[in-house]
Amino acid sequence: MFPIEHVLFLAALLFSLGLMIIIIKRNTIMILLGIELMLNASNLNLVAFNNLMPEKMDGQIFALFVIIVAVSEAAVGLAIVLQVYQYYQTSIPDSVSDLKE
Amino acid sequence: MQSNISYSLFFEICLLLATTLPLMSFLFSLAIAEKYSWAVSITAPFLLLISALSSLVVFFSVLDEQPYQFAMAWMVVADQTFSAGVFVNVLAATMLLVVTVISFLVHLYSIGYMAGDAGFRKYFAMLGLFTFSMIAIVLANNLLIVFVGWELVGFSSYMLIGHWKEKPEAARAAKKAFVLNRIGDAGFLVGLMILWTHQGSFDISTLDAINGFSEWQTAASLCIFCGVTGKSAQFPLLTWLPDAMEGPTPVSALIHAATMVAAGVYLMIRIFPFFTPTALDVVSIVGIITSLIGALAALGQYDIKKILAYSTISQLGLMVTAIGSATPDAAFIHLFTHAFFKACLFLAAGSIIHSLHHAQHQFHTHFDVQDIRNLGGLRKKLPVVFAVFLLAGSSLAGLPFFSGFLSKDAILTGLVTWAGPDTSWKWLVVMGAFAVTFLTMVYTFRMIWIIFFGSEKKTSGVDLPESPVVMQVPLLILATASLWIIISWNPFINTRWINPALVHSWNVTILSVIWVLVALAVAYRTRNRASQLKIFLHAFYLDHLIEWNIKNVAMKFVGMASRIDKKLIDPFLHGTAYAQVLVAHVTGWFDRALVDGTVNGFTSFVRGVGSVTRSFQDGKIQLYIFWSIFTIIIFLIWTLL
Repeated sequence: MFPIEHVLFLAALLFSLGLMIIIIKRNTIMILLGIELMLNASNLNLVAFNNLMPEKMDGQIFALFVIIVAVSEAAVGLAIVLQVYQYYQTSIPDSVSDLKE
Repeated sequence: MQSNISYSLFFEICLLLATTLPLMSFLFSLAIAEKYSWAVSITAPFLLLISALSSLVVFFSVLDEQPYQFAMAWMVVADQTFSAGVFVNVLAATMLLVVTVISFLVHLYSIGYMAGDAGFRKYFAMLGLFTFSMIAIVLANNLLIVFVGWELVGFSSYMLIGHWKEKPEAARAAKKAFVLNRIGDAGFLVGLMILWTHQGSFDISTLDAINGFSEWQTAASLCIFCGVTGKSAQFPLLTWLPDAMEGPTPVSALIHAATMVAAGVYLMIRIFPFFTPTALDVVSIVGIITSLIGALAALGQYDIKKILAYSTISQLGLMVTAIGSATPDAAFIHLFTHAFFKACLFLAAGSIIHSLHHAQHQFHTHFDVQDIRNLGGLRKKLPVVFAVFLLAGSSLAGLPFFSGFLSKDAILTGLVTWAGPDTSWKWLVVMGAFAVTFLTMVYTFRMIWIIFFGSEKKTSGVDLPESPVVMQVPLLILATASLWIIISWNPFINTRWINPALVHSWNVTILSVIWVLVALAVAYRTRNRASQLKIFLHAFYLDHLIEWNIKNVAMKFVGMASRIDKKLIDPFLHGTAYAQVLVAHVTGWFDRALVDGTVNGFTSFVRGVGSVTRSFQDGKIQLYIFWSIFTIIIFLIWTLL
């Protein structure tokens, strides 16, 4: 077993990368990918902290939930992106500005 | 309000009637329709008759009694109260009697004289206004009211001189009288201001009670005398009076012989104690100069009314001299007698003019009826006027047994007493006064001789109608009043009839009798030698002198004033204006830059803050996320450290 800190550092790195992708990338699909990355970083954390109390399965169960929620969210998000693309012929959120001003 | 208990209600009613009925006459004559203007010829003399009778009652009530006083607050300016009221002593009552009686007689006479005149109503209205304002001067208890009356008589005199305003000479004469009177009145007004500054009161009774003499009193009394100079036609403002003869003759009799021109003399007598010895010296010198100029000018005139006008100036000068010699009582007696005989002379001259005008209409001839060179031998054609003229003329000349003799005697006695035994300049004044009485005799004789004696000139071919009765009655009454009996029972001594305390000197009386008889003899010897001196005809060129003065001195002065205005005052004003504009610009800059700038600065600051804040929410989702995360990180750092 390698120490927990390594896992935590990896998770933090993944989370930061995901956040950076969300902020920097223009395309909606890339933003959704960033979100997935951040969810996986949190999953990594849940699994790592579960190792401190192995007799309980809370962390692993929660990770499963998060994976399920992430799948649903990705499905809904992609659906919205598809609809938006059909209507506006673009998937860049900044160009969709009908409600502004 | 205060009044004396010793006077009955009847007296007060009479006083009120005497004062207000002329005003009623004025208002009635103004209000009545042109169609009924004949009614004025009944109402106006009737109202004046009642007024005259009432003043007779007033006169006899006041005689030998305490003066009647009545005053009430007129107006309050700041904390100063101006009062209005009457102060009736024997002097005022006598003057009131003179004014109302002569005014009544002139009203009566005017019915005949002005018959058929287009301005009949206006004429009687103005006579009423004049009489009322004259009474105001006579009775008023303070100088402010006197000044108001003073201006009103000036105005009505102006209206009446210019009664025949179609005649350019009449309009010009009216204007001249008005302007010269204004010059005098300016002095009067200054005098009133000085008086108010030092005394704080215009009351005549307090004025007479001032003890001691001071410098300001001399100044104030000389300023008031300046007003008298204008109104009473004294040197150098005397030239308006001869020109004023352009008015109707009854007006000349009432205003320019008997009453208004005497108002100045009356005022000086009324406030006599106020005059300082220095002022009185000036007064006596001005008086004697006027008197001599008037008498000499009367000698050179050919117009019958102008002779009388210059004679009036001369007699007024004599009264003023008498005041200057500190004998106001003598001056008043002369004023009193002069009012009657001079009014009589004027009305008689008016009768001659009236008759001749009518005759001219009948016979279609034309000549100047006022020029005595055209008349002559009228004693047979107009016997009544001749008799009247002779009586009043004798009184004017100062023959014994006439009122003029007594009053002149009083003046001469006063002058001799005043001059004293020592030789001084005062004896020049006395000699001047004697010369004036001599000249008076000469010009009166000359006038009567040329008009009534000798051969007829231009009147020989015409038939002269006698004047109507309404014109003869006033003449006869006034002629009777020229006899000595009007002021004294004794034809040589002033008895207690009007004035008790007058010095009498037999020396002077005898001297003046001899003097007058000598003058009569000289006048008879020189009766046909007409004085050809132009200087007399033009009254020493006083008019020309004034005109020259206005043309050269006054216009130069005006030019200088205008240059000073342009050179000094205008640049100063312009400089001030520029400075003001500059200050305005500075203020404007200050307003724009600092006041507006502060406000604008605030708004742009707020706008800047707003736009900065707004820039956080420009609809970019990822920026929102960035800012939220950024904030959370800041927050975490803040809490954890």
